[in-house]
Amino acid sequence: MEGESKKPSRGIAARAFVATLPVFAGYISMGFAAGLLLSIQYATAWSVFWAPATSGTFISGMLQFLLLDWLREMTPIMDVIVVTVCLNVRYSLYGISLIERFKAAPLFTRLYLIGTVTDESYALQTQCPWPPGRASTRYCFLIAMFDHFYWLLGATSGALAGICAQGIFSRERVEACTRGIDFAMTALFIVILVDQVKSRENRAPAVIGLAVSSLVFCSIAAFAGFSAAKGWMLIPTMVLIVCSFLALRGCLDPECRKGGAA
Amino acid sequence: MSETGRYLVLVLVVVAVVSYLLRALPFVLFGSGRRPPAVVRYIGSLLAPSVMAMLVVYCFAGYLKNGCLDTPLHGGAELAASALTVALHLWRGNPLLSIACGTALYMFLIRGAF
Repeated sequence: MEGESKKPSRGIAARAFVATLPVFAGYISMGFAAGLLLSIQYATAWSVFWAPATSGTFISGMLQFLLLDWLREMTPIMDVIVVTVCLNVRYSLYGISLIERFKAAPLFTRLYLIGTVTDESYALQTQCPWPPGRASTRYCFLIAMFDHFYWLLGATSGALAGICAQGIFSRERVEACTRGIDFAMTALFIVILVDQVKSRENRAPAVIGLAVSSLVFCSIAAFAGFSAAKGWMLIPTMVLIVCSFLALRGCLDPECRKGGAA
Repeated sequence: MSETGRYLVLVLVVVAVVSYLLRALPFVLFGSGRRPPAVVRYIGSLLAPSVMAMLVVYCFAGYLKNGCLDTPLHGGAELAASALTVALHLWRGNPLLSIACGTALYMFLIRGAF
């Protein structure tokens, strides 16, 4: 750790890079899939333009997959807006716990940090080993940039590879080789969750999240099947989680427990 | 520009703008030196672990959607790989090791090579 005090920025970059390696595996493979699917759906040159256009404008990966359906079926714009809001409203909630952390950042860095809020970057940024300040800003910025770059790289190369390889190899063969590598994303969430529940105050919210999301998923699945349940679980889960927090505030909020009307 | 081209650009712009506005919302509301109200800070402080739990469940929802129960292992690959990830992480506490081994086990199991 002596080297870190001499050259703090290098230590930060190295740690940020190592922290994003699991995201690298997940984003490269999922981005690749998104690019590949697009190049197969539209076997034209503009599918290569797709990756920079969607990733550069901070459109999330999930929406990039949905965009394929929307473009094929010319979905009404109102539906597009509603689904986008429902899927991305969780980023507004993530932002609440990032305000303090991003406060020290210069304007353009902050605009970039806000645009690149995603599930994965948020997860890593809340685990930032530095308190809010310059080191923390640099770390968060590098996390955001690395993750953003991985997706851009994955999606662009997926579209390029799709166009080139469709003539040479079969699409099935490419898919067969990388099948299952997306589990790295699940494992990343699991690892972060395990780290979080090591501290006592995180256990109650983790249990609430686990219970509420399983309940919501099972209830929707019972009526409409797994596919619909996966598609629709996030919004009701987020709403119910926040409601549970409000209902349990008396025993979960230290400020309330002390009796201070803060 | 063709109708498809116009629609493409329109959808891109709409989705990008709506996404950015949603992300910027909390920073606009509470960012300018104003402290968020106590209830917002309270929710913000609890959100990370519950969202992480939700995302784990969401990942499993994806496996269920993709028919993991109909595979030869009936979802056992997902469970075994997750268990290995948790166990390794509790034991060694090295994120890369836990994730790499869990993913490798998953890729091995879903190929039915056992």
